[in-house]
Amino acid sequence: MNQPQDTTPAISVRSLVKTFGRGAEMITALNNVSVDIRQNEFFTLLGPSGCGKTTLLRLIAGFELPDQGEVLLHGKEIAHLPPHKRPVNTVFQNYALFPHLSVSRNIAFGLEMLGWDKAKVTATVERMLELVKLEPLANRMPDQLSGGQQQRVALARALAPEPRVLLLDEPLAALDLKLRKDMQLELKRLQDETGITFVFVTHDQEEALTMSDRIAVMSNGLIQQVGTPHDIYYAPETRFVADFIGDINIIRGEVNSTSDGSMQVTLAGDLEMTLAGTASVGQSVAVAIRPERSHFAVVGAPETLSARVTDNVFFGAGTNIHLMLNNGQGFIVRIQGQESGCKPGDTVAIAIERDAAKVLDN
Amino acid sequence: MAKRFDLRRQTGFSEIAWFCLFALYAPILMLVVFSFNDNRSVVKWTEFSLRWYYEAFDNDGIRAATAISLKLAFVSAFFGTIFATMAALATTRTKPYKGMYLAYAVINQPLMIPEIVTAIASLSLFALIKQLTGVTGIGYLMLAHTVFTIPFAYMPIRARLEDMTLTLEQAAADLYAPPTKVFWKVTFPLLIPGIVAGAMLAFVVSLDDVIITLMVAGPGETTLPIFILGAIRRGITPEINAVSTILLVASIVFVAIFFLVQKKRTK
Ligand SMILES: Nc1ncnc2c1ncn2[C@@H]1O[C@H](COP(=O)(O)OP(=O)(O)OP(=O)(O)O)[C@@H](O)[C@H]1O
Ligand SMILES: [Mg+2]
Repeated sequence: MNQPQDTTPAISVRSLVKTFGRGAEMITALNNVSVDIRQNEFFTLLGPSGCGKTTLLRLIAGFELPDQGEVLLHGKEIAHLPPHKRPVNTVFQNYALFPHLSVSRNIAFGLEMLGWDKAKVTATVERMLELVKLEPLANRMPDQLSGGQQQRVALARALAPEPRVLLLDEPLAALDLKLRKDMQLELKRLQDETGITFVFVTHDQEEALTMSDRIAVMSNGLIQQVGTPHDIYYAPETRFVADFIGDINIIRGEVNSTSDGSMQVTLAGDLEMTLAGTASVGQSVAVAIRPERSHFAVVGAPETLSARVTDNVFFGAGTNIHLMLNNGQGFIVRIQGQESGCKPGDTVAIAIERDAAKVLDN
Repeated sequence: MAKRFDLRRQTGFSEIAWFCLFALYAPILMLVVFSFNDNRSVVKWTEFSLRWYYEAFDNDGIRAATAISLKLAFVSAFFGTIFATMAALATTRTKPYKGMYLAYAVINQPLMIPEIVTAIASLSLFALIKQLTGVTGIGYLMLAHTVFTIPFAYMPIRARLEDMTLTLEQAAADLYAPPTKVFWKVTFPLLIPGIVAGAMLAFVVSLDDVIITLMVAGPGETTLPIFILGAIRRGITPEINAVSTILLVASIVFVAIFFLVQKKRTK
C-alpha cells in the first residue's frame, strides 16, 4: 500500500471494443474505450442504463472477452486470463451469494479456492465479519438475511481475498434510500481502510458525486468525460455530461469576439460575458450554468439577464424558480427555503456567478 | 368491478371434472379394494383380509420379478440420470453452438417416437449384436431402460439449470474457483434437487415399462409388469390385484418425492 512512487495505473483499459450479436442486430456495447484507473482510487463509472458500464466491468473481471483492445492490471496485460486467474473481485448487483453456504462459508469461499491454510481462513473470515459488522450472523444462510445484510456479505466475500481491485456493479441499487446513504458512507470507509482500488458502477449521479475520487461519465459505449466530482459537476465538457449530472441550464450564446483561449459571448441575446473556450466569431455555442450559481438581482441592474417567472417548484431543501429568458429559453434559479418573493408573470433579473458559465463542446 | 373469468363458473365444469376424476380413479380404487378381499372373486366382496398379499409374497415368480424390476430400475435410473445431467449441462452451460437445438431434439427423441418402434428397433439391433458376439444377459435390458429413462431425467434437471442464473457460477469463478471447482462447489450442490427429481422419474418410468421390456427381455428376465401381464392371461386373481397395488404404491411414493423436490425448488 505504501508505494507513493508507483504511479502505474491499477487498471488501464486501452481502446476496448465490445460488440454483441452480429449483422443488423449488432450492438456496440463499448466503442473504443480508454481509461486509466489509479491505485487506491474510488473510481466510478456513471451513465444511463445500457451505456456499457456492466460490460466494461465484466471485461475487467474476465466474464467477457474484448473484440479489440487490452486490459492492463498494474501494467500487466490480463485480457486473455480467465476470471479465476485475475486478482480482481466483484460485488454483483444482485449479490450472487451462494444460497447453499452460510455467511461465513460464503466469505471463506475465495480463500479456500486460493488454498489458504485453515487457520488463516478462519482468522480472515472473522476479521471480515467484524469489518462489515456481521459477527452475530456468521452462521445464517443467505436467505435468512435482509437486503442490506446480504449486501455486506457480498462485500466481505469480495474483500476477503485482498484483491488488487474491487469491482462493484450497482451494489446499492436494491437498497432503500436510508440504507443506501448509510452504505455509501460504509463503502467509502471500507475503501479508505483497505486501500483497495474500487471501481464502482452506478447510474445515480448523486451517489457518484458523493463517493468518488474520480468519475467517468459514459454514454452509448463511450466515455464522455473523466474527472473529479467537482470537475464533472461544475466543468462539464459535453452537453451530455452537463445534462446528465444534476439540474443545469443550457442556454444559447453568440460569439462576438475571441482572444487567446477566451471569448466574448452574448447569452440569450441579453448579457455579454467573457468565457473560456475557442470558437469562431459569429458561431452559436451552448453555455451551461448550474441553477445554484445564479441569483436574483435588482431589475435593470447591469450584467444581468432579464426573465419572466413561469413557476415555483418547492423540493424540500429549497425552491426552483422556473423562468423564461428573452430568447424564449427556459432557465432555473435555485434558492434556499420556500419564500421566493416572486410569482408567475413577474419580471426578474438574473446575475450569474463569476466562472459559473461553461461553454460546452457540443 | 368486472368479474374475473373463472373456468369453474362455466356450466357443466364441475360435472365434467368429477366425471374425469371418476374415470381416472374408479378402476384403480376397485383394484385396490378387491386386493383386500378374502375371496377368489374380483367382483364380489366378502370380507377384509391380507391373504392375497401373503400369497403374493410367497410366490417365487413374483419375488423374482420384483427383484429384477428393482435392479433394473436402480441401474437404469442411476446411469440414465448421470447421462441426463451431462446432457443438461451440455445444452445449458455452454456457449450456444451450432446444432444445440438439434441436440435438444435428439435427447428428447424417445418421448416423440412411438415406444413400439423403439422397442422393435432395439430388439433388432440387440439380436444382431447377440448373433455377432454371442453375449447374452440382462445387460441389454439395462441398456435399453437406461436409454429411454434419459429424457425423463433430463427434463427436471434442465429446468433446474435454466432456473439457476449463471451469476452464481461467475461469482465462484471470480473467487478463484477453476471450472471443475465451480461445478463441484456451486453448480452440482444447487442442481441436486433437479437430479433427485430426475432420478425419481427415471426410476418410475423404468419400473412401469412394458413394451420395450417385452421386446428386449431375454428368458428369465421377467419384470413385475411383464409377470402381471402373463398372469392375467390365466384370469385376474386377487393376488394380481395385490401385486398391482404394491407397484402402484411404489410409483406414487417416487412421484411424490419428485413433486416434493420440485416444489421446494420453486419456493
Ligand atoms: N450478453 C449480451 N448480449 C447482447 N447484448 C448485450 C449483452 N450484454 C449487454 N448487452 C448490450 O450491451 C449494451 C450495454 O449493456 P450494459 O449491461 O453494459 O449496460 P449498463 O450500462 O450496465 O446498463 P444498466 O445500468 O441498465 O445495467 C446494452 O445495449 C445491452 O443491451
Ligand atoms: Mg449494468
